[in-house]
Parts: sequence; structure tokens; C-alpha cells
Amino acid sequence: MTQSTPLIEMDKKSVVAVNSRTKLKIKKAITIASFLLPGLILYAVFMLYPMIDAVRFSFFDWDGASPSMNFVGFENYVQLTKDDIFLKSLGHNLLWVLLSLTLMVVPTLVLAVLISRVKKGKMFFRAGFYLPSVLSLAVVGVLWSKIYDPMMGPINVFLKSIGLESLAKNWLGEPLFVIPALVIASTWAFYGLYLILFLAGLQSIDYSLYEAADIDGAGPIRKFWNITIPSLRNTLNVVISMVIIHALKGFALIWIMTQGGPFYMSELVSTYVYKAAFSMNKVSYATAGSVVLGIIVIAFTISFNYYRERTE
Amino acid sequence: MGTRLKQLKGSQVTLLVTLSVLLLFITSPIFYAVLASFKSNMEIFSSPFSLPKSWNFDNYIGAWNLGNFKTYFLNSAFITIGGMVLVALVAAPAGYAFAQLTFKGNNLLFYLVLLGMALPVQAIIIPIFFQLKSMGMVDTLTGVTLVSVGLALPFSIFLMRNTFRDVPKELRESAAIDGAGEWRTYWSVMLPLAKPGLVALLIFTFMNIWNDFLLPLVLLISQEKFTISLGLYSFQGEQSTNFGLIFGGTVISMIPSIIVYLIFQRSFVEGMASGANK
Repeated sequence: MTQSTPLIEMDKKSVVAVNSRTKLKIKKAITIASFLLPGLILYAVFMLYPMIDAVRFSFFDWDGASPSMNFVGFENYVQLTKDDIFLKSLGHNLLWVLLSLTLMVVPTLVLAVLISRVKKGKMFFRAGFYLPSVLSLAVVGVLWSKIYDPMMGPINVFLKSIGLESLAKNWLGEPLFVIPALVIASTWAFYGLYLILFLAGLQSIDYSLYEAADIDGAGPIRKFWNITIPSLRNTLNVVISMVIIHALKGFALIWIMTQGGPFYMSELVSTYVYKAAFSMNKVSYATAGSVVLGIIVIAFTISFNYYRERTE
Repeated sequence: MGTRLKQLKGSQVTLLVTLSVLLLFITSPIFYAVLASFKSNMEIFSSPFSLPKSWNFDNYIGAWNLGNFKTYFLNSAFITIGGMVLVALVAAPAGYAFAQLTFKGNNLLFYLVLLGMALPVQAIIIPIFFQLKSMGMVDTLTGVTLVSVGLALPFSIFLMRNTFRDVPKELRESAAIDGAGEWRTYWSVMLPLAKPGLVALLIFTFMNIWNDFLLPLVLLISQEKFTISLGLYSFQGEQSTNFGLIFGGTVISMIPSIIVYLIFQRSFVEGMASGANK
């Protein structure tokens, strides 16, 4: 895109012109750098460099404190494939993805459709239903661990008071319930964002499509399947991919509510890696685990965006 | 026609009732926490769903003093405000350069920034800790602020680039003809036009940093440096059986984000939708 003016004669005049042009060019480069560099440097120091470091660490054997690091090649990755807890954590991440998709996507879409039908007070409901998403995950985690408390938590107190004592479980303490219980808390914390995306998507649907369907005598369910869902394709794609990515990255709620327990029953890759690095001092091993997680997330994100660009 | 109108009104009423009941049910954990924060342990257990017998603030006072929530609050405020200022000062000019200035490697550099949006923090948190350690900034509020800003930058630059792309280039060119330098044009002509995007960015940054848990957990060690999220987490560990106190702390931790949300509700929600859709 650079414009080059041919230099015909190297007389004094044009040398001066070239000089001042390079000066101008340098000045322009400095100006552009002054806009870009502060941001890019911070980004490089705290994201790009650690990213390279993560890959580097994963090829060594290092406890985080000793001055020397032993190069071990792919040994950490080989160990990971033999580590039952790591594999279990990956499985839990997958389960977490599936449960989140089930709980999050369709119910939130139905809620969005209901809100979009409101004539007066739409803003009130949108703001109200978004409220849980405003809270920090620390608040959500502490709040829900009290809600699930086997003795004093409101769920069990309520179940006991209506005589369903047998249904009152130790929600975060039993292998069968712990992950679903955590996913419910996480759904509560995150559905608000998806609700807003769906509402924005619904707003852009051509209303005349519904009128035409009305004339054809289509019922509400047929209209939902034949008009709403296809028109929301892009929004649905975005929401589904965000739900999956969130589920793969989950950490704070699990750490606050169960720390991966009981007996690794709710361990995700992120919590396992955190423990391995900061309480077991297996720094390079943990980093290898986090690199695996990072690759899964990045690969998914990139291929999803590629797919979306191709289909749009 | 008359019956049709009645039908419509009738269905609106059913809809409103359904949604109100649903809203009450979904937000009930918040109400539960607020009610419980005024109760004693005994009362929480015996009557969890009723209004408190008296509105006493003991749990709040207890959490504020005993639980050091005052310190946590100030620490969070420092990190969050510092982070917001820094993000705005650094991400807006970069987004502007990507959107408005022509230079070699613009696209390539921008892809590099986009990579950061896909990269999960969990993948790099361990090296971040050791890097900050080598810089002597583990267990400092400045360290957490800088890392928070670094991690927030990809999305922030992306958002500001989108904002500045909607500003017509002719404005910049006509300012240049008037003899204004690039930075002057930026401050006095372009930035004011990007105000909605900038407001969205500041709200995002506030929510992200104020509510963050992972970075403070990994990067802060001593209790007097804890942020409000980390403080609440450690408080629940210390007072695990004292429900009243914990709910006091929980409600204290909720208040700032709810206030910011209520004030900026509209630009908040719209920023969310536009940011994620692009």
C-alpha cells in the first residue's frame, strides 16, 4: 500500500526531498508506535510471554523453586496420559460441557422468547433476570454452598419440613450429585449473558415472517421451530460456543464450593492443575496439563470461528 | 375485534404473571441471603424463609470488623480503579491505531491480539505467577493490577477497534488538514465520538477486575492484601459454621457490583450484546 514516487534524478533538491520524506516517515512511525506500543507491551509481557513460558516449562522437570530445570521432552505429557486423576478431570470437563449445554441453551432461549413477547415492562424483566450475572463468582460460590448445606441449607430444611427427609441429600458431598449441583450454580451465574444475546437476536427477526405464518395458520410451536430457531442461527452458534468455552475454563465456583472434592469427584482440569502447581509443587507437570487445556480451548475457538465464517 | 383485543390482554396478563413468578424464583437466592444476613444462626435454621424478627446489623458489623472487609474493600478498589484507568489509557489508543491508522503489519498484529482473546487464563496462570515473582511483584496490589490489565487488553483493544471503526475516517483527515497532530486529533476529535464504546469498556473492566477470583488467589499471599472476592472466600473458611456472619460478608460483597449495575444498566446490557455479537 506504500506509495513510491520514482526518483528520476539524484540532484540536490530531490535528496533533500527524500531526506525530509524519510524524516516524515520516521515521525509517522513514532506516532503510530506511541499509540500501539503501551498496550502491546503490556499484552506481550503478561500474556504472550507467559504463553511461551507455559510451553517451555512443560518440557522440563521443575518444582518451581530449584535453580536448575531438567529437560525431559514430552515426558510430562506422557505422564498425563497415564494419570487417572487428570483423565478423570478431563472427563468431568466433558460432562460439565454437556450438562451446561442442556441447562443453559434451550431454557434460556425459551425465557428470552417469553420476555420478548412482553409489551410493557420488557426492560424490567431483562434487567431483573440479568441480576445474578452481576454477582462475583465468589459471592455465587459462597451463597450456593450455603444453599446446598446438608444441615442448615434452605433446600434440605424445606425438604425436611414437608416430610421428604429421604430426598435431603448432602448435595456437594455425594459423587452422584456434586457435579450437577455445581453446574446448576454455574448456570445461575452465567445464563444472564446468553439471555441478553438471545434477546438481541430475537429483536432482529423480521416480524413479517410471523404475520405470514399467522395467515397460514401456524401454531406457536411451529412458528418457534420454523421461524425463530432458523433466524437465530448465528446467535445460537455464538451462545453454544461460549457455553462450551466457559465450561472448559470453569474454576472459581468449583474451587470455592468443593475444591474438586469429594475424592476428586468434581475435579476439573483447571482445579487439578492449580493443586499440582501450588500445593504439590509439580510446576512443570501442572503446566503441561494447563497447556493441554489451552490447546483444547484455542483449537475449539479457532475452528468454530472458521466454521462460522464459512457458513455465514 | 373486541374479543381479539381481550384475548391479547388476557395472554399478556398470563405472561406477566408467569414471568414474575419465574423472576422471583430465580432471584430467591439473593433475597434469601439478604434476609439471612439479618438473622442469628439459630433463626436461619429454624425459620429460613421468613422475614427476620428484627433488622439488626450485627452480622454486617461483625463481617466488616472481624472479617477485615474494610481492608478487602480498599484493596479491591485500588486494583479496580487502577486497572480501569490503565486499560482506558492503553487500549483505546491501540484500538484507534488498528481502526484508523494505516501501517504495515496492521492485520498481522491484530491477529496476534485476537489470539489473546482465545487464550484461557488457566493455561498461562502458572508462568504468570513465576514471571511476577521474578519481577518481585508477587503479593503486591500493583502486580495484580498490571496482570489484570494485560489479560483484559485483547478484548479491550478489540472492543475499541470496533468502536473507532464506526467513526468516519474523513473526520480524522479534516482535522489533519487543519494542522492538528495525530494525538491531538485523537483526544479532541475522535475520543469524544467513541464515548459509548469507552463507557462500555470501563464497565466491563470494572466488573471483570472487581469480581475476579483466580488472579488474586494465585498472586496474593498475605491476608492484608486480599481483594473482596478472596477475602469472602477465606472468611467463609474461617467462619464455616457461622451462617449469619457469612451472609453479612456475602451481602457486603454484592453491593458494589449491584450498585454499578443499577446505575449503568442500559449501557451495560447493550455493551454486552454488541461486544459478544461482533
